[in-house]
Amino acid sequence: MNSKAKNLVISATMFSSCLLFFSVCSQDSGGLQGGLSRYLPQSCEVGGWIRNDIPQEYKGEDLYLYINGGAEIYHEYGFKEIIEQDYINANGKSISLEIFEMENDEAAYGIYTFKRSSEGKRLALGNEGQIEDYYLNFWKGNFLVTLTGFDEEEETVEGLVMIAKSVDAKIESKGKIPSLLSLLADEGLMKLSIKYFKGNLGLYNSYRFFTKDVFGLRDGIKGSYKGGFEVFIFKYKDSKESHKRLQEASRSFRESPRYKNFRPVDEAFQVIDSNDRFIFIKSFQKYILVVLGARSRSAAKEILDSTQENISREKGDSPLRTLP
Amino acid sequence: MTKKIRRRDFLEKSAKIGLSAAFGWRLTSSFFPGSMPHDSEKEKVDIAVVTGSDYLKNTEKAIKILGGIDKFVPKNSSVAILPNTQGKHPGTYTKPEIVRAVIRMCREAGAKEINCLSWLSRKYWDATGLGKVVEEEGANLKIVARDESLFKTIAIPKGKTLKEAKVMRELFNNDVFIDMPITKDHAGNKFTGTMKNLMGLNFPKINRFFHSGDAEQPDDIEHLDQCIADLNKIIKPDLCVVDATELITTNGPFGPGKLVKPQKIVAGVDRVAIDAYCCTLWGMEGKDIIMIKRGYEHGLGEIDLNKVKIKEA
Repeated sequence: MNSKAKNLVISATMFSSCLLFFSVCSQDSGGLQGGLSRYLPQSCEVGGWIRNDIPQEYKGEDLYLYINGGAEIYHEYGFKEIIEQDYINANGKSISLEIFEMENDEAAYGIYTFKRSSEGKRLALGNEGQIEDYYLNFWKGNFLVTLTGFDEEEETVEGLVMIAKSVDAKIESKGKIPSLLSLLADEGLMKLSIKYFKGNLGLYNSYRFFTKDVFGLRDGIKGSYKGGFEVFIFKYKDSKESHKRLQEASRSFRESPRYKNFRPVDEAFQVIDSNDRFIFIKSFQKYILVVLGARSRSAAKEILDSTQENISREKGDSPLRTLP
Repeated sequence: MTKKIRRRDFLEKSAKIGLSAAFGWRLTSSFFPGSMPHDSEKEKVDIAVVTGSDYLKNTEKAIKILGGIDKFVPKNSSVAILPNTQGKHPGTYTKPEIVRAVIRMCREAGAKEINCLSWLSRKYWDATGLGKVVEEEGANLKIVARDESLFKTIAIPKGKTLKEAKVMRELFNNDVFIDMPITKDHAGNKFTGTMKNLMGLNFPKINRFFHSGDAEQPDDIEHLDQCIADLNKIIKPDLCVVDATELITTNGPFGPGKLVKPQKIVAGVDRVAIDAYCCTLWGMEGKDIIMIKRGYEHGLGEIDLNKVKIKEA
């Protein structure tokens, strides 16, 4: 083939590729009409990954149609809407993208902490992101974004990150974290262990205190520490309410066969759980503080000193903190 | 000569003379004439557990350990199978090769019809590869629309929380029922297995009641587990074959979550014992799971694994 013919072939190939490229993009953009779909990366934006099939969308109670009983935890945190879109590449790999719009930043942060593990790797995505073996979560503003691959191969993991970055760029809101976070003592805190709760279901998945909402929990946090113990902080309207809740909780602990050696101590009480872990619970201002797994009461009190100092230093009643 | 009454004939007769509610408990054993009391075996095995990566072969092996598929599937019977096709994320649905093995074994036993039941849409079956397996093996995929008229109301006379269930009518067109869950985490109550899988037969709106709790205690976990135990009082599988190969232990039931890979197929008839066994695979005990405890308290099976014969291969 002479050089003129070669050039013709190259030009024709490039022209066809461009046509295909714009064809795929224009097919995509026909479906992107606002709502959550505006956050879906188009096929031409995520290098080799193209949208497969039409997205699924569910609002409010209809989340139950999508994930059945798995919907309850999302509703507990405050769920509004989800869009789900699959992506595939030329090698037959597949990635599922889910964008959850939650009621507010706290809800998004909370469900993010629920879903991420303490073993993943942090990623610079959104307000915070983390990648596990085959899936990835990040939160930004009032959105939680989850991407799932179907294997742990490098190509899939790279695809997860690429699509995630594209979604991140489309979400403009920044988001604020719950101020409760600042009350956890810093020393020895394993940051990936932090869980933020908006109800008993979230709490139960962290530690099975009770099947019923004994603490009347609507705003709580947990952190695990290198010393092998955990600290829970539950926030109430005021000290009167926290004290009342403590009294109700102490009754439940005293009467439950799952806990033994109940002992009231001043404005607090202690028990041992069925795994012989020591639990110390007290109220302090408008909070209930729980230490699980300390060696003794005095150790638990020492652990709570920093938390109580943080509470005492707390200014105002803003539920959220702006991220740095 | 006595005539062997098939379950669907019994049901029709019972419905006519209005006996179904009064004799609910008896229905469970009459529903599935395939589950005749087992002959005393040389070695009676309650739970068969086979470990390994060949899921198809291991499923066959597990059922053989229990005495073979012929014990559960009579010749010319219709078989209903209920796999879990709820999610497409890894570790959330029953593996296709396990379902393939059971379909094949049923066919070998001479089943005239094998029906995979679901009120989830075809999309779920295709996304998991289960739809393809059903087609390839010549079984029927019976997708039941979420139309209340397609579900039969059954009273639960001893129901503590759930007083009646609405079970898909399609189930009653079969002589044998094989429950095929994947065992995994569930954010609602920390565990799902054979007992919870039966929610896949129940009308979705009623299932919503399971999860929503009562007016005083919405999202009461104990409410959910009691409802599941109540449901199990009126539906008894002839055989349970559980996918415990690769499963999520967090963020269940839908995932994605932390995957563990015990690579086990677990089979048996005692749902309580099977669930009590399965939850140990990620560090729990049957007594920790309210649903399993309730199942035991209601006489649905044995919770103490020291009292059941488990054969591992």
